[in-house]
Amino acid sequence: MATAEQQLPLRKPDKPFYFNTSEHLLRIGRERAGTLAELLRALRECPDNSIFQHTFRTLQEHHFIRQGFSNDFAHWSLSACHEPILAEQLASVDVREFTEIAGLRARMVEIVEDFLQQHPRAAARPAHEPFFFCAADLVVMPTPFVPDTLPGFLDALRQVSVHSIHHHFIEARLRLKRMSNDFSQWLEEEMGLRHSALAIERIDIYTNTLEGVRQQIGRIVGQVLN
Amino acid sequence: MSSESNRIPGDDHSSNSPTMTTAAPPPSKPAGPPARPSSRRLPSSVLTPPVPPPTPHLDDYRSIIGTAQIDALRFLAADLKGKTVKMVNSTAVGGGVAEMLNRLVPLLSELEVPTHWEVITGGNDFFEVTKAFHNALHGAQYELTKHAQEIFLMYNEQNLQRMQFAEEVVVIHDPQPAALVRTKEKTSAKWIWRCHIDLSSPNAALWEFLRPFIEEYDAAIFSSQSFARQLPIPQYLFYPCIDPLSEKNKELDDSFIQKVCDDFGIDRSRPIVTQVSRFDRLKDPVGVVEAYKLAKKYVDCQLVLAGGGATDDPEGAVVLQEVKEAAGNDPDIIVLDLPPWCALEINAIQRASTLVIQKSLREGFGLTVTEALWKGKPTIAGAVGGIPNQVIHKLTGVLVHSVEGCAFQIRYLLTHPEFARRIGTSGREHVKENFLITTNVKRWLLLFGILAGSKPAPIAA
Repeated sequence: MATAEQQLPLRKPDKPFYFNTSEHLLRIGRERAGTLAELLRALRECPDNSIFQHTFRTLQEHHFIRQGFSNDFAHWSLSACHEPILAEQLASVDVREFTEIAGLRARMVEIVEDFLQQHPRAAARPAHEPFFFCAADLVVMPTPFVPDTLPGFLDALRQVSVHSIHHHFIEARLRLKRMSNDFSQWLEEEMGLRHSALAIERIDIYTNTLEGVRQQIGRIVGQVLN
Repeated sequence: MSSESNRIPGDDHSSNSPTMTTAAPPPSKPAGPPARPSSRRLPSSVLTPPVPPPTPHLDDYRSIIGTAQIDALRFLAADLKGKTVKMVNSTAVGGGVAEMLNRLVPLLSELEVPTHWEVITGGNDFFEVTKAFHNALHGAQYELTKHAQEIFLMYNEQNLQRMQFAEEVVVIHDPQPAALVRTKEKTSAKWIWRCHIDLSSPNAALWEFLRPFIEEYDAAIFSSQSFARQLPIPQYLFYPCIDPLSEKNKELDDSFIQKVCDDFGIDRSRPIVTQVSRFDRLKDPVGVVEAYKLAKKYVDCQLVLAGGGATDDPEGAVVLQEVKEAAGNDPDIIVLDLPPWCALEINAIQRASTLVIQKSLREGFGLTVTEALWKGKPTIAGAVGGIPNQVIHKLTGVLVHSVEGCAFQIRYLLTHPEFARRIGTSGREHVKENFLITTNVKRWLLLFGILAGSKPAPIAA
């Protein structure tokens, strides 16, 4: 892993790492679902911002939970519809496997469609409470941290908010349009730390809190420095 | 710190003194804390209102939310520099909206977004009409008369003549001043309607009367997704919030917590299960007593029911009596009818508690739940209203639907302290992320920015 990289002199990056962060405002959408059939219809028709809110963004809102929370559709399927099979299937969708909302939406639709084909009576059963679709209005902001050294990067990583970690590590895929994240991309392209970049990319966001993600990234980068 | 330092010295007015009561004879146990009398007066320290503490500054929140979040607020505010805001509501004191504006307005102004707060005026007839509107919008039976409409419109027009709207953003809170929007075309401001009440099943005729005014606004804000209506304007979700530096929520010295427990006869060496709420049937205090009694067969604990409303509300007094009857002669049930200014004492009781219950049968948002979660307390709450937004079952607390469910969760949480600690920790983080006043300041800044023309970033920004 990072062992080989520990023996190499550190490269001076051409570009610093610009730590940004993002904040969002919740807009209440027009779609709502009182049954799984209505959920399926709304999943097909709702704006991309709604899919984004209930998958990517909800992970940030619940960043402190280590287990049992994946996305709002899975949570509602269990808590309001009492459908544990569907909930498990929806919860297994890893947002980091998608670089576009369209692909993520298609996967969610496919799971609900398949489930309703196998369990047609579940389609019209009223949920305990409706699912209200929301959407995220996003604002991206700079932070004061623009490190151009690996120690500087590590120091900044420890000081930025978890919103910044989410922005660079989770949401980044939609921006990069590739299966990576901003930290790995910078470490590989600017610092030549390919193994560290891969190790960071492998961190499991569903079994870690965002603080846990921050600590793991810190450990991986720290190993290079040590 | 001591609560004594904030109190106005005064006499004990025994004629209207709130009382602490238990319906129990002295406990028969040979050991343990001193026996509680069946009825005794509250300590003199809580009988007069305290002097309000100074309003906190933004930097006072740094140790709670972190420098990065303070920086984010300052960045968002910098984009709004020079813009001014007017907040309008119907009361300067009392009620959650005034309490929230008392904290929000200074923080926005400190962030150099000068914010002016104006209160509309009206006669008794106006406030009688708007009180009826309030209840009808919550779904109560109501017949909207022409006369009520005229009174509502007349006082809104009177206030329009008196007020000026030179600010860039005007925020109107709740229905009372909603018709002020009729002057919108004469201003250059963006107009926002902040609705603090549940509009999920409003009186139809009243809503049809109000709807044309609401549709004139540039945006509306609701406290829950389920409160929103189908409207042609953007609708945003702002959760209610608590101030972590308020008397009700700030950190307390353990010595003060101990003093409050001693004053009220609460034994900190044994588990304490607490519900804080008005003596109101919708809070189901009798159901809490029943759940405690079921749980007590398996686990040792005390039950504290701390609230108010029994002295100024006839129904509250009836409910308090029902609670006392349900409590019977159990010395471990401590019922406290506290005056409204006992925020520090409520804070201390919550912090001393092992578990907190909010077994509501109907609820708006449930800020007492937010307060308990903020204090890291494992919380058992009824799955109603806005509570499920706060209590994610088995993750940030536990939701219950019955007395039996509540009893089981008391037993489970008291015998599984590691699980209880975990949900308590997650509950506090949930509040930190979503339900603190600083998060609400951020939401306001984001909304002002969006209405001022800052385009939200695309998802792939």
